[in-house]
Amino acid sequence: MSERASTDPLAMMRAAVDQWEKLANEYGGQFLQRPETSEAMQKMTAGFLQMQKMTQDAMGKALAAANLPSRMDIEVLSGRLGAIEASLARIEAAGAPPPSSGVALPRPPRTRKPPLRP
Amino acid sequence: MSGEAGLLERGRQEFERALQRNIKGLGYFTSPAPVLGASAKDVLIERGTLRLYHYRPLTDELYRVPVLLVMATTNRGYILDLTPGQSLVEYLLRRGYDVFMIDWEAPRPDEKTLDLASYVLDFLPSCVARVKQVTGEPDISVIGYCFGGVLALLWAALHPEAGLKNLATFTTPVDFSKMPLFAAWSDKRYFDVDRLVDTLGNCPPEMLSTAFDSLRPGGRLAANLRLADRMWDDEFVKAHRMIDRWSSDMLPLAGAYFRDTTQKLMWDNALLNKTMDVAGRPVDLDKITVPFLHVTAEHDHIVPTAASAPLIEMIGSVDKEHVTLKGGHVSLIGGPNAVRRMWPKLDEWLAEKSL
Repeated sequence: MSERASTDPLAMMRAAVDQWEKLANEYGGQFLQRPETSEAMQKMTAGFLQMQKMTQDAMGKALAAANLPSRMDIEVLSGRLGAIEASLARIEAAGAPPPSSGVALPRPPRTRKPPLRP
Repeated sequence: MSGEAGLLERGRQEFERALQRNIKGLGYFTSPAPVLGASAKDVLIERGTLRLYHYRPLTDELYRVPVLLVMATTNRGYILDLTPGQSLVEYLLRRGYDVFMIDWEAPRPDEKTLDLASYVLDFLPSCVARVKQVTGEPDISVIGYCFGGVLALLWAALHPEAGLKNLATFTTPVDFSKMPLFAAWSDKRYFDVDRLVDTLGNCPPEMLSTAFDSLRPGGRLAANLRLADRMWDDEFVKAHRMIDRWSSDMLPLAGAYFRDTTQKLMWDNALLNKTMDVAGRPVDLDKITVPFLHVTAEHDHIVPTAASAPLIEMIGSVDKEHVTLKGGHVSLIGGPNAVRRMWPKLDEWLAEKSL
């Protein structure tokens, strides 16, 4: 059986993929967990964040000069709407009819018992 | 002669598969992805990132105690409700449970201020109160998946009067030092979480996705090669599409929540070290005394058993059980292993406790 598998090119290809994946996960994982890798990645992230911050500041100034709302202004408005939405949800929940009022869909009785086990 | 006939038969089979690969490969790229999360449900709460679903019953008689599933904040809840026959939600409904689920939408930019306390002291209590109101029952069973389990644990420890009857956690970490890649990438010597949150607001899903993919650097390419090889196999392709769609569909994390979890869990390992607090309220898992089931996966590469196993000793319950099942982080709850092993185990454990 194993002799047949070893001469089957497709089976060999599948085994090679399995083997490659195992090695890639093992050595790739070890590499990515090294402190040096983590440090390098975080430096790249910090650089990206710095660039992002500078762009945000510049855009904010440009929008203010053009008398247009910035993303921050929209976020503040959206936050206030969210707070209103949350208040409404709480009011709705407090005023919701109880389940026995007949308004809700009929629900099955809550009397089920587990089947007897051997 | 029989050898030649076997060779011919094998050649014919491979030719047939190659043909099917080409035909179905074309179909793969032109057909829509399978519909997931389609069990009939009502939305009870729709507030910013929070969703509370109530699933329509599939039996004529329900267990008295409702079940609330708590999904992890990084991913969509439809992993618990894949297609019919592969849906934990559907399975529970067919076994007679009244099923609710806390699911998450992507937090809006203005929700960057949501922190861990928002989830544990506001979202979960609001949902539990709503479930009690809808069912008229004073108690509830809670099941948390992955980080949903962490939220459920924090909520349970801080709300002993909330009517929790049973608690189950699936692949839920408590020792974050045993998740080496995440620990290395969030190393406080190099990772400035404040800067990230202050600049971006919410933690982008691409960042999380890269972190998860890096746990198995060869995984994605190997999975695609296997998909090409088995394109003729409809069941394999369907399963691949479902899981691939779900694992690529990651959610951003609310900024303050990401900061809290990084600082408290990744940096301080506060749950394991028993120094955890939510908004200044100390969390003691020993105060959880209800029946408790902790399920971990033998081949979980995201939350290794070493990261989740210590939980069972930290819980104060007398009636508690830790089960390690075959499978990985996802296949534990939504694959053939789940159908055969985990779901029946959960039902066996929960049924007699739901009266």
